[in-house]
Parts: sequence; structure tokens; C-alpha cells
Amino acid sequence: MLQYQFRWDTIGSNLDFLLSGLNMTLFISAVTLVLAMLGGLVIAVLDMSRFRVLRLIGISVGEIIRNTPILVQLLWVYYVLPIVFNIGIDAVTALIIGLAVYQSAFISEVYRSGIQAVPVGHREAAQVLGLTTLQTFRRIVFPQAIRMTLPPLAANFVQLIKYSSLGSVISVTEITRRGMELSASVFRPLEIFTFIAVVYFFICWPLAMGIRMWERRLANR
Amino acid sequence: MGVTPIIAADAVTKRFGTNQVLTRVSLPVSEREVVCVVGPSGSGKTTLLRCIAMLERPSEGQILMQGQVIAAAEGSAAITRAAHAVRPQIGMVFQHFNLWPHMTVLGNLIEAPVRVKGMSRSAAVDIAHALLEKVGLTDKRDAYPARLSGGQQQRVAIARALAMSPKVMLFDEATSALDPELRREVLVVMRQLADEGMTMIIVTHEMGFARHVSSRVVFMDHGETVEESAPAEFFGSPKTERARQFLKQFED
Repeated sequence: MLQYQFRWDTIGSNLDFLLSGLNMTLFISAVTLVLAMLGGLVIAVLDMSRFRVLRLIGISVGEIIRNTPILVQLLWVYYVLPIVFNIGIDAVTALIIGLAVYQSAFISEVYRSGIQAVPVGHREAAQVLGLTTLQTFRRIVFPQAIRMTLPPLAANFVQLIKYSSLGSVISVTEITRRGMELSASVFRPLEIFTFIAVVYFFICWPLAMGIRMWERRLANR
Repeated sequence: MGVTPIIAADAVTKRFGTNQVLTRVSLPVSEREVVCVVGPSGSGKTTLLRCIAMLERPSEGQILMQGQVIAAAEGSAAITRAAHAVRPQIGMVFQHFNLWPHMTVLGNLIEAPVRVKGMSRSAAVDIAHALLEKVGLTDKRDAYPARLSGGQQQRVAIARALAMSPKVMLFDEATSALDPELRREVLVVMRQLADEGMTMIIVTHEMGFARHVSSRVVFMDHGETVEESAPAEFFGSPKTERARQFLKQFED
């Protein structure tokens, strides 16, 4: 270790290559977040449905997804789905599908707890005054639930950015994969993976801190 | 009686699972009457009120408004339509106020008139102002509920219910969640309403209020109406042993 000659210039001379991976990481995280927010809504609606069968489906899907590893799910989507449905799925699509489904299961819980945190009495007050179920949701429940939902949603975004690194396993050229490729050709894993870790940190940490401050501001209101 | 009661519970039984909370309770209320429902906790008073407010559906029996069925064990399209039509005519005030915390006082007051009655915003605001004046809170118009005391919140909640110009007002232990020194300001508003001739059904533990303001006292125990009489009679010489026992707790 003491004799190790740091060659940080490896990073500088390959910066474009690594940053193209960062672009991919951010693209995948953003697309997946949007899809997962919609997917989470579907699962949450099923979870809270009046009909037992739908509830059962929603809860089962949620439990299965939450209790199997994300990496196994990604491999499953990438290798198994194409065989089962006889379709071709490229790695990026597989990663987006896998991550979105996984995160949906967590985001559905975020929605559900947000909605259930609104006291029943607020809904009853609206009902007694004659507001319809839809009006009650839109005007009374949703605006209150969203305040409690935004911070955990943002936390899910941080999670997604980190999990997108798993795309490297199925050869999606996000930043971690770029690092592996570069490391294989220039044999500088120490500099490369340290740099990549720092990049993740400086994206995720400010986001997480921002969320914490935001939560504190909401709590003070 | 002759005159059709403005609102009535007719032989209402309510069960939650195997737990029977109300047993064939009938409560016809005439216009301008102020009925206080008293009794030990768990006697079914609140459930009765929630049935009348259409928040619970009777297991047996029915709720009528001016002779028209608005809730019954077996629903029907006609009942749903009638319920929908009379809903704004029945106002309710809750123990825990239930103001919407993300809206200002004014927002709370105009929400239902605008959304349900389709009133213009400015007309709703005018009504809201008049009502805030009535409950003495004009200066709190733009405040959020969290900034108000419990007594102020409950007065806003009363104003919110009145904004729909109800024919009947239901009060579910409206002062029970309040500190003693804040109860008075709410009771004053309720008394004022009674004096103006509002038809009111009041579930309460405020015996002083029941004695002085109500036109009739209904005593409930174990899901049944045990005694029903004029306040002077009920407090002066209760007919049943159960009522005597109950009233004893309030003597000092």
C-alpha cells in the first residue's frame, strides 16, 4: 500500500467515458422514478380496494417484490422474461422494468401510509357536508397525504440512484459498468471505484440532506 | 303528535359484528326543538347521532327527514337519492372539530358551499364572514386551524356546518375535548343557535346546558332510551333508578 503509486490522471483522461455512464445512471433513475410512482399508485389502489380479490392481488404482489432481492429480480427480468414471453428485451429496458417494479412496491407503501395518516374524522366532516367521495379525496385527503408523501418519495429517489448500479451486472453502461470496463483495460480499480463512489455520494448525500431539511420544515408548519 | 317530525330515528338497531350498540331506539324531533341526549359512555348516544348523520347505516329501522326515509338497513336507489338531497340540511359538529388543517378558516367555511351547492366564491365568502362574526372570529379568517385554540376551532367548525344553512344541527360531545375554560365560548354559541330556533340534537355531558337550554332530555343506557322528559322533570325528579344513579355523579 505504501509503495502504491496513485494515478489519478487515469480519471482525468477518461472522464468523458465515465461521465457518459453518469448520464445513463441519471436517465435510468429519473425514468424509473416516474414509472415507479405510477406503479406504486396502482399497487396502493389495489391494496386499499373494496374488493377482496383485488386487495389480495395488490398485497401479494407487494409482498413478493419486497421480499425477494432486487438483483435476483433484475436477472429474472433480463433472462427469464424474454423466454417466457418470447420477446427480446435489451438490458436498459430490463433494468428500467426491474427497478420500476421493485420500487413500486415500496412507493405503494409510502402512498398508503400517507393516505391512512389523514384522520378519518376529516373525511367524515367532508361527507357530512355533502362532498362526494372523489371531491373528498381530491380536496381533503390528497393535499394532506402529499405533504407526508413527498419526503419519503424523494428518499426512494436516492435509493433508485444507488440501485441503478446493479445494471452493471446485466451490462447496462451506467457509471458503475463504465468503471468496470475502464478498470479492465487500464488496471486502476482503486482510483476508478473510489472516484465512482465519490460521485454517487455527492449526488445522493445532498439529496438526502435536502430531504431532511424539507421534512423538518414541513414538521414545523 | 300530528306534525311530522323534521328528523326522526325510527326503531333503530345498530350492531357492530355481534356487539349490539343500539336497540330499537326511536327519536322523533320537531322543528325548533333542542334535544339533549345524555347517558353514561358506551350507552350508544354517539352511534345514534352518527346514524342520524348518515355516517353509520342502521342494522334495523330507519332514519327519516320530514317523513322521507333517508337511511335504512336495506338500501335502495330512492333512499340514496333522498339521502343525497337532504345531506346538506343536516349539519354536524364533532368532538374533535375535524377542521381541515391544510385550509385557512375561510377555506374551511367556503369549501362545501362552493363545491356542493355550486355557490359562487364571493357569495360563499359573504356568508362565511357573517358566520365568523356570529361566532366572534372575524379576525381569524386567514388563520390555519393549528393556530387556533380548541374553543376557537370548535366555533369555526360550527360556522362551517352553518354555512350550508342546515335545518338540523347535530352536536357530538362538542365540548368534551375542550379544557373547562374553553367550553363556555362554545356553549354560548350553541345557546345562541338554540335561541334563534335551530333544531338541534345534542349529545353531551354538560348537564347545566341540558337543564337550561334543552326542550327535552333523552336519557340512554345500554343502547336503549330509558327516559325521556322535559329538563325540569328529568333533573328534578327522574323517573328511573338508572337515571338517578347517573345524575348522582354530577352532584358535588
